[in-house]
Amino acid sequence: MLASPAYASAAAEGAEHSGPLFSIFGLDVSSSTTSLWGIIVVLALVAYFASRKLERIPTRRLQIAMELALESILSFLTGVMGSEKKARQYFPVLASLFIIILFSNYSGLIPGFGHTPGLKAPTSTLSVTAGLAIVVFFATHYYGVKAHGIKYFKHFIQPIPFLLPINIIEEFVRPLSLSLRLYGNVYGEEMVIAGLFALLPLFLPLPMMFLGLLFGFIQALVFTMLASIYISTASAEHH
Amino acid sequence: MTTEGLLGAAAAIAIGIATIAPGLGQGNAAARAMEAIARQPEASGDIRTTLIISLAFMEALTIYALLIAFLVLGKI
Repeated sequence: MLASPAYASAAAEGAEHSGPLFSIFGLDVSSSTTSLWGIIVVLALVAYFASRKLERIPTRRLQIAMELALESILSFLTGVMGSEKKARQYFPVLASLFIIILFSNYSGLIPGFGHTPGLKAPTSTLSVTAGLAIVVFFATHYYGVKAHGIKYFKHFIQPIPFLLPINIIEEFVRPLSLSLRLYGNVYGEEMVIAGLFALLPLFLPLPMMFLGLLFGFIQALVFTMLASIYISTASAEHH
Repeated sequence: MTTEGLLGAAAAIAIGIATIAPGLGQGNAAARAMEAIARQPEASGDIRTTLIISLAFMEALTIYALLIAFLVLGKI
């Protein structure tokens, strides 16, 4: 599906520089890949400097800001998953997803992103969002098997064995809808901003960019929330 | 009518129709959630979380149509 010509033409129509920039060992590196690398480097540097000299009672602003952000993500996950123990157990994967999606969504609002080679909001590419959704797909089943062993697969035939095909389809529709929702929102928003910019470059795209700030946050929240619900139902106690 | 005109009309009609039903559904969900918050303000956190999840599921339907519209526009 990802390599279909229809999708490729739509993606090529959206951005002028969506083709590969260069290739490493035969793998094409596109603008969204390089922007994702940039975001990873920035996040890693911030995390390094925030956790370099940890203090029990923080006085440095960076550590205070980081603790505040992570505490609020933890309390949000606690609200969704039910208990803080569970939220802490799956905190690394879910919080990483949230932070990388949030920064990827917001990177599209930096001037120059989208029409400079090498700079493009990573989540406005279906391949990136599909990759994130595949991580969630495998994490769900990994944690399910880890929590229940081989008995985990019993839930596919849980109410009646007749429902097995529908349950399997449901499992595969989840990553599809996760990736398409994120990609469609970010890509559509960028296209609307580009269209408004073409109409009148001054002031007209501003309201849509404010909406983009809101939508970028909500989409990152929704992705993390759905991922945490999938993981917590997969690892929950069955009856 | 030219092929390009038909394709453009197809994209516009696709996204136009696909906006109606999710819009109604989201309005209904938001209205009920506001009623629920007004009745029980102490449960507003739970209600908001559930509301955002259900809005996201409804939103996905429109997003599918938006993707189809972009695919059709890409053919022009």
